[in-house]
Amino acid sequence: MIRKRVNIRMPALGGQGAVTAAHIIATAADYEGYYAVSNPFFGAEKRMAPAESYARIGVEPIYDRGEVVYPDVIMVFHPQVITMGKSYTMPFYSGIKRKGLIIINTEEDLLTEEDRERLEELEVKVFNFPATKFAIDIAGTELSTNMAMIGALFGSIGAVGIEAIEEGIKSRFLKKFVASGGTASLDSALERKFKKKLELIEKNLNTAKAAYELAQKWAQEQGLEPFLPPPPKKVAV
Amino acid sequence: MQTVKEQGIIYNRAGQRVVSPDYLLFEAPRTKHFMTGSEAVKEAVKRASVDASVSYPITPQSEAAHLIGELWVEGYVGVYFRGESEFGVMSEVAGCALAGARTITTTSGPGTLRAFENFPMWAGTRIPVQLVLMARGVNAPLSIQPDNLEVGFLLDTGCMIWYAENAQDLFDMILAGFVVAEQPSVHVPIITAIDGFFVSHTREAIMLPPEDIALPPYNPYRAPMPVIDAEVPPGRFLRDPFVMKSNYISYATHASWQWEVRSAIERSRPFAKHYLRGLTEEFGDPDADIVFVACGTAAAQSKEAVRLLEDEGVKARVVKLKTIRPFPIEELRQAVKGAKYIFVPEFNVVGWLEREVRRYLYGHSDAEIIGSPRVAGGMTMPAEVIAKEVLKLTGKEVKHVI
Amino acid sequence: MSYKIYEINEDLLDVMPQEIRDLQFKATWGNPKRGVMDLPYSKELIEEHSLCAGCPESMALRYILASLPNPEDTIIVNSTGCTSLVFPHIALHTVHSLFGNQNAVASGIKRVLEWRFPDKVKDVVVLAGDGATVDIGLDCTLQSFFRQEKITTICFDNEVYANTGGQESGLTVKGHVFKMAPKGKQWDKVPMWQIAIDSGCHYVARLTVSSPKRVETVIKKAIYVAREVGPTYVHLYTPCILEIGLNSDDGLDEMRQRDKERFAFFEYMTDAAKEVIERKKEEGLI
Repeated sequence: MIRKRVNIRMPALGGQGAVTAAHIIATAADYEGYYAVSNPFFGAEKRMAPAESYARIGVEPIYDRGEVVYPDVIMVFHPQVITMGKSYTMPFYSGIKRKGLIIINTEEDLLTEEDRERLEELEVKVFNFPATKFAIDIAGTELSTNMAMIGALFGSIGAVGIEAIEEGIKSRFLKKFVASGGTASLDSALERKFKKKLELIEKNLNTAKAAYELAQKWAQEQGLEPFLPPPPKKVAV
Repeated sequence: MQTVKEQGIIYNRAGQRVVSPDYLLFEAPRTKHFMTGSEAVKEAVKRASVDASVSYPITPQSEAAHLIGELWVEGYVGVYFRGESEFGVMSEVAGCALAGARTITTTSGPGTLRAFENFPMWAGTRIPVQLVLMARGVNAPLSIQPDNLEVGFLLDTGCMIWYAENAQDLFDMILAGFVVAEQPSVHVPIITAIDGFFVSHTREAIMLPPEDIALPPYNPYRAPMPVIDAEVPPGRFLRDPFVMKSNYISYATHASWQWEVRSAIERSRPFAKHYLRGLTEEFGDPDADIVFVACGTAAAQSKEAVRLLEDEGVKARVVKLKTIRPFPIEELRQAVKGAKYIFVPEFNVVGWLEREVRRYLYGHSDAEIIGSPRVAGGMTMPAEVIAKEVLKLTGKEVKHVI
Repeated sequence: MSYKIYEINEDLLDVMPQEIRDLQFKATWGNPKRGVMDLPYSKELIEEHSLCAGCPESMALRYILASLPNPEDTIIVNSTGCTSLVFPHIALHTVHSLFGNQNAVASGIKRVLEWRFPDKVKDVVVLAGDGATVDIGLDCTLQSFFRQEKITTICFDNEVYANTGGQESGLTVKGHVFKMAPKGKQWDKVPMWQIAIDSGCHYVARLTVSSPKRVETVIKKAIYVAREVGPTYVHLYTPCILEIGLNSDDGLDEMRQRDKERFAFFEYMTDAAKEVIERKKEEGLI
């Protein structure tokens, strides 16, 4: 279904890079020519505690702010969001809109029978995808899980291409930017892991690309149309 | 901040070319950037020939405060340090402004209240300080989320209050704020407010003029009160009423001084109108008789709700108030002509904006004024919730708006 | 040469009151060697005062104003209390802060003036009572010392909140009965001079105002050190004769008595401060 706007909610755990993911998603969409806005939710910032971020992408100016209460897409960054209820909403898919999409980072199916029924009623598709495994295989670290999630998002909803994702990743890691205390310390952990920033960007991009291609295939199999029309600044070819 | 003249072009201390406020705000070519509200504060201060800033940590304004520190290291801001508490900071800011510096600072929620004694002091001493207020919940209970109850407390401090809806508004208002506050006929403090996280930490597109141009520096010798720098004769007063002399002189002085501060806010109107391109902004169908009167993020959410209502076949429009002090009285009265229902959505439990709206529309509008929806504690105000309120009113009970 | 700003327009000279004319022609501007010895002969920088007759604070103020090395470039920051009653009478730039934040306001002023006028002398001096300095203002006062602000803080210690009717303050002596301490103060007088040393002041002095010459020396030392090194603190005993039940003439005697006990003269200086003081002595300025 084509919409004027896609609202994305990303329930994750602290330290997984959900805030960074929202940043990159919005930057990529903005680069692609869409209107885009992203923001984190700030609670007590703790590793492994619930953390959530949001991105809104559309073909009209976006005025909506704050938490996404009615998402079109939910990206679950960690199985514990579901299995341990580490989520700001219960069930985690509260508010999901009709014909929405849920991407879950998991190696197995986490939904109950009741969940499946309710989601089917709303014609919501669920994409189970082992993002952490991807990240470890391709980038060599689970800290790149968010890159895989970003790739999976755009692969499945279409609208934003690899070039834009690359721009988003570059803008996050190359420019000086503002971070919370938690994010800043993770950056140095990453820097120690990767010798050069460019190496980091390349590995992240490859992770995102691989996830993108996998998700694209899945979307095709599911018969999913792109979630958004072409951006207002570009003409469809 | 001093200037250097080279071949007829004036440069400020940071080496930026000094341009007129009109050029900077309206004519300079702008390019698109993608950043948070906190980063937009940095960009505005960078182009504002700011002399001094004092900072203190409190969520959500800490980022903006330490970004201004980076500008100090880079040479764009003259004096910068961290104060000991918001009370200390606002006192230090008063000192900086009294000594002739264009001064900016930031605070939120409990910090605002901690500093409060200084706000009427700023106004009474006629210093054109700028305070970027990132609204957040006020204890108790504690909340770091965007709840703007504190703005209700600030309404009568004698400071001007402008309200930004997004990063773009905030950027332009900070620049315009200095220009308007420093007019000799105005010269009172200005508070540029945003609804905390909704703007400070939201990343969005923003159009910025080049970074090698800047506002003309502040000239403290154009102030209506002598600057405290021992370069001009001192005023034979303490910037306080003469309580020390006879009581009758002190009553008259205090009263006229207080009136003067409020008059100064009134005198800011034409300047604010010019530099903000109007004190209000309208959005939606001009024929709609359902009107949202709002400021800041509530205005943004209302705009989103107008779109949703359109899909349901209901016409609505938004009258966004850009300034609260001075309150856009005439503009509001004009804008709500023909309205049947006026909703005032707010992010606080008491409805301070509704009070203002009722006060100024009394006798000037037949519309029913509804102080709803009102959320607090920093809760989001989804457009769906706003739309539901309206649809309930028009008899369209909708269980699931989406 | 900014004392020129105090000059009256020639055309208005004949209609100005005598004290204003005296301020231009008979006051001691532009001469750092000015001091208390000029008092009988020159126009003081304070014109009358509205304090009680015989108030030691008024003595202290007159000595201090007579001793400022560069009054034409001195900014005085004051706080609420008896001292603030005198400020409208002073011929210099003065600022009334709120209550307790005088050192914070002074910090802002000093930093901006140093930045705006890097080649000029701009002395910022805080004058506040014991309540303002040590109770409600302890935070801001000490923090300005921690930050090493180049200001001189002068505390007028009358050991009570006098202006509000005589309430106990942190600097009240243990056992003394004042309002809000009807059974006598339960804890010791706060040794603010010691705290000032521990907080980073480079020159600290404690004294009564019984000797004008001594006040002059201390003030000059404090200001010169603050100019070059860091924060300085002067703790003056200026008893409230009203609150301790003395007559107008008894202030001096009261101070002379305390000179022998709890307000015995005490001076501390860091090496850096000592260097400045020795230098100024050589230059004949102290």
